[in-house]
Amino acid sequence: MKTAVRKAAAFIITVLLVTLFVFIAFELIPGDAATAKLGTSATPEAYEALREELGLTRPFFVRYFSWLFSFFFGDMGTSYSYGVSVRSMLASKLPITLTLTLMSFVMIIILSIPIGVLSSKYEDRAGAKALDVLGQLTMSVPPFFLGILITYFFGMVLRLFTPGGFVSYDVNPVRFAAYLFFPSLAIALPKAAMSIKLLKTSILSERKLDYVRTAYSRGNSSMDVMYKHVLKNAIIPVITFLGMTLADIVAGSLVIEQVFSIPGYGRLLITSISNRDYPVVQAIIAIIAMLVIIINLIVDVLYQVMDPRLRGN
Amino acid sequence: MLDVTDLHIEIEDSLIPETVVYDFDLTVGAGEIVGIVGESGSGKSMSALAIAGLLSRRDMKKHGSITFEGNELLTMNRSMLRRIQGDDIAVVFQEPMTSLNPVKTIGWQVEEALRIHRDLSDEELKRAAVKMLDDVEIPDPEGCYHKYPHELSGGMRQRVMIAAALICDPKLLIADEPTTALDVTIQAQIIELLKKINREKGTAILFISHDLSLVRTLCSRVVVMNKGRIVESGPVEDVFAHPKEEYTRQLIGAIPKFEKIAGVTYHPDRKPILEVSHVSARYRKVTGYFRPNSKPKQVVSDVSFTMYEGEIMGLVGESGSGKTTLGKTILGMLDDTEGKIVHYSQMPQMIFQDPYGSLNPTKTVGRILEEPLRIKGGYTAAERLAMAKDMLGLVGLDETYLKRKPNALSGGQRQRVCIALALMLGPKLIIADEPVSALDVTVQEQVLNLLIKVNRELGVAILFISHDLKVVYELCSRMIVMKSGQIVEQGTDDEIYNNPRHPYTQQLLSSAGYVNR
Amino acid sequence: MEKFLFRFRKNPELYIGAAISAVMMLIIIAGVLFSPYDPDSMDAASKFASPSLKHLLGCDNFGRDLFSRLTLGGATTLLIAFFTVLIGITVGTLVGAFTGYYGGAVDEVLMRFNDAVLAFPSILLALVFISVFGSGTWKVIISLGIVFVPSFARIVRSEFMRCKNLDYVRSARLMGAKDIRIMFVHIFPNTVPVVLSSAVIGFNNAVLAEAGMSFLGIGVQPPASSLGRMLSDAQAFLFSEPGYAVFTGVTIALMVLGFSLLGDGLKKNA
Repeated sequence: MKTAVRKAAAFIITVLLVTLFVFIAFELIPGDAATAKLGTSATPEAYEALREELGLTRPFFVRYFSWLFSFFFGDMGTSYSYGVSVRSMLASKLPITLTLTLMSFVMIIILSIPIGVLSSKYEDRAGAKALDVLGQLTMSVPPFFLGILITYFFGMVLRLFTPGGFVSYDVNPVRFAAYLFFPSLAIALPKAAMSIKLLKTSILSERKLDYVRTAYSRGNSSMDVMYKHVLKNAIIPVITFLGMTLADIVAGSLVIEQVFSIPGYGRLLITSISNRDYPVVQAIIAIIAMLVIIINLIVDVLYQVMDPRLRGN
Repeated sequence: MLDVTDLHIEIEDSLIPETVVYDFDLTVGAGEIVGIVGESGSGKSMSALAIAGLLSRRDMKKHGSITFEGNELLTMNRSMLRRIQGDDIAVVFQEPMTSLNPVKTIGWQVEEALRIHRDLSDEELKRAAVKMLDDVEIPDPEGCYHKYPHELSGGMRQRVMIAAALICDPKLLIADEPTTALDVTIQAQIIELLKKINREKGTAILFISHDLSLVRTLCSRVVVMNKGRIVESGPVEDVFAHPKEEYTRQLIGAIPKFEKIAGVTYHPDRKPILEVSHVSARYRKVTGYFRPNSKPKQVVSDVSFTMYEGEIMGLVGESGSGKTTLGKTILGMLDDTEGKIVHYSQMPQMIFQDPYGSLNPTKTVGRILEEPLRIKGGYTAAERLAMAKDMLGLVGLDETYLKRKPNALSGGQRQRVCIALALMLGPKLIIADEPVSALDVTVQEQVLNLLIKVNRELGVAILFISHDLKVVYELCSRMIVMKSGQIVEQGTDDEIYNNPRHPYTQQLLSSAGYVNR
Repeated sequence: MEKFLFRFRKNPELYIGAAISAVMMLIIIAGVLFSPYDPDSMDAASKFASPSLKHLLGCDNFGRDLFSRLTLGGATTLLIAFFTVLIGITVGTLVGAFTGYYGGAVDEVLMRFNDAVLAFPSILLALVFISVFGSGTWKVIISLGIVFVPSFARIVRSEFMRCKNLDYVRSARLMGAKDIRIMFVHIFPNTVPVVLSSAVIGFNNAVLAEAGMSFLGIGVQPPASSLGRMLSDAQAFLFSEPGYAVFTGVTIALMVLGFSLLGDGLKKNA
């Protein structure tokens, strides 16, 4: 119970710090909403009046908390470039980026656990060694280059999908998901390679520990030793890794959207940065940071469930 | 019941195949306790693991024969072997800290063998496990059932290991150094427990140990091993009374003898150098401002004693008795302390237990020895070098060592450098925290002799912290016995060793094998 | 020789990584210094020329020599990564040393802040700074440098926390050494192997981050060339001229492979 309260407190503090950070960053940008609305040719009087009207003359923390509250209640301001509410711009794109991220995350798990277990089991075989080398190479390919390679081979040579042929989820959910398959793969592969390597090393080092010998001495088969004893211990560092990787997956999806022409948060963010459309940039960054914090919290809880040594004190 | 004949074990994993056990023969009858004795590397654990069927078949080549109740274990197929493992033959290992799976409850692990070998309901499994935990004298077995290994002490974990091994009522229990990692008093309890199990359940025990005196108290027959071969075997009392082989004689000779090192001094003049009165110390695990502090743990409570100039005083206790904390408190290394500590000389220096952690690995010995002079200031480079050379000479190392780094030194040499370092500023009192317990026996003697020399030639008083009553007897003229943060007894060597008044002191002495003369 | 083979078998990552990184750096330096072509000079006649003795890797869409452009882009990427790590490691070491050694409330607040910053994907954080500072080579360096501070600070902090309770540090304290002396004379040299290996890994991440940002068009701005930017240009001609994208991508991948193996190897040795 105490732990839960402590976690909640740490979570709230992190959220406040992160949002404060985002807020300050955009406060530092020269020019404010009033300049953005009026342009540089307006009279100083009109400018001051608008500043007053927009609440920009209030003290810093008042502005921060009012921004924070309206942000949480869905009011994220108005886009400078399009004049529409940021919320409406973002709401329709959320499912796209979220699907992309989750799909890659699931792929990483589906790929890494069985392959990690198998390659540790057959560590001496040539196949496992070849897999190591392949993994090391995969890790070194930046996701956007992998995306380009996938576009070339699967899209242009094998014609398994149409590059640039994105279909929105409200038009056809199946084709939407099918289109996101290859981009997700481009994000997932390098991370899956790392996760496989980590799980393999973790299993190999766990297998040397004394409790494994104890398990054999009780008459467990090697299958049971692996699944009932070793894996449950070996998976713990992998969970930490997956938690830390999530931020990278989100970052990866921002870039991959560019490669595969997917109209998600990534592309919107880049266009908005180029157009100096700060309300949009600020909102996207805050939302992504929130997502990462929430996912970290989930991983943290999962971690406690998996490792009794971390529970209680 | 168990018959091993002509067992050879060869490791194939390394580049050059190496035979680690030769011509090993052993029989264990039902209900018998047989010991295998030898130093580390003698092949005793390998043989035991082979009998338990736990040597990997890939990396090891074994021939000879191991029959258990008429079945040949060496060539038996895996699934048949598994039916015997954990059911008829059970094993308890040396390291109770790591031999239990950290993410499974105690109950789950105690039940495991039963779950594998019998077809019982969860209810029956639990009842059996709780009863077993009770049988191995675990207080609150019901509560322990739901705990995880990290919540138990070493002694408790070893009891859990024994409970888990005995759950299927095995015919043979192989205990591989089951008490080595435990404190002496806990050791005695585990040995008693093994005796009781043998008596009440008729379980045969194969007891593997490097400790002859333990084997003597427990076993009826003994096998002595050296370098992979059996050198001698027979009934325990025969082997002890009439050792036929030189090696056995040596082993028996290695049972601790209590003798003073020549030159131990008694100081009658009694000028105090350190006064400790009503000192208490607490540890508080400060983990962070947003995390609640755990309750402060009282480690030393209300301790008073006086040390005199030029004496060597022993501070004895088991791990967790607060002796190291007391040492740190005297040196002002802890924050949460109370009581009064008066130093009659400049600040004492400290020699630490682990010679591998107490020298900065990135600096040369010369640089390390000069550091205190650099900190103090006021010496020229030539003076510093000369002083470092002199001090190195005093501890018995020549000046070629000045240029070496700690990694290039042996444990004993490092400890010599540590002593030299502690002496650089010319203190009148040194606190030595288990300075020899990480060293080999022969090196131990050399370092102890060096301490005596330092004490005699420089008149430095030494507070010698140790768990080893033999070593303390060798060089201390007075001693303090600590238990759970309190002093239970203090006095001269004669008072403590020959007339111990406190039952705890008596217990420590008997488990250390001290014989009153 | 036998000794080398033994060491190689014990830590192949270190040697393979060092070899790849060294070769890549040599090629890049040699290319920048001795290339006969001006990387920016356009030549319509040799547009998308195939690899030949004249143009080792062929030419791009403006007829610029690809090899010259790749080495120049590689050099830009390497320089950006180098300065990024330099900023990250200098500031990170100072912050980590003081917070790790002293602990307490300042440490706790800084670590919360650290956690908060680490919650951002590094490229996203760099994007925040880019949108504040604007884009351009030096701005990319400063942005990425700031982004890398927390992770270095965390590593150095944990090393200092580990070392501050070691016996040799305690004995230095008993001899009256001042805190600053303990921190930088006694503890710091012991953290070097760990800091070095994380610097190489950080370097690798900086290469990836810079390439990613320039790929998105918000990093290095033309006329400066960088591998990420070139890859993004190459994508447009992927179907007709896959060589352009492949050569560029492989250059990035080889750099990343070399430094990540080197980092792993150093970590193993640390």
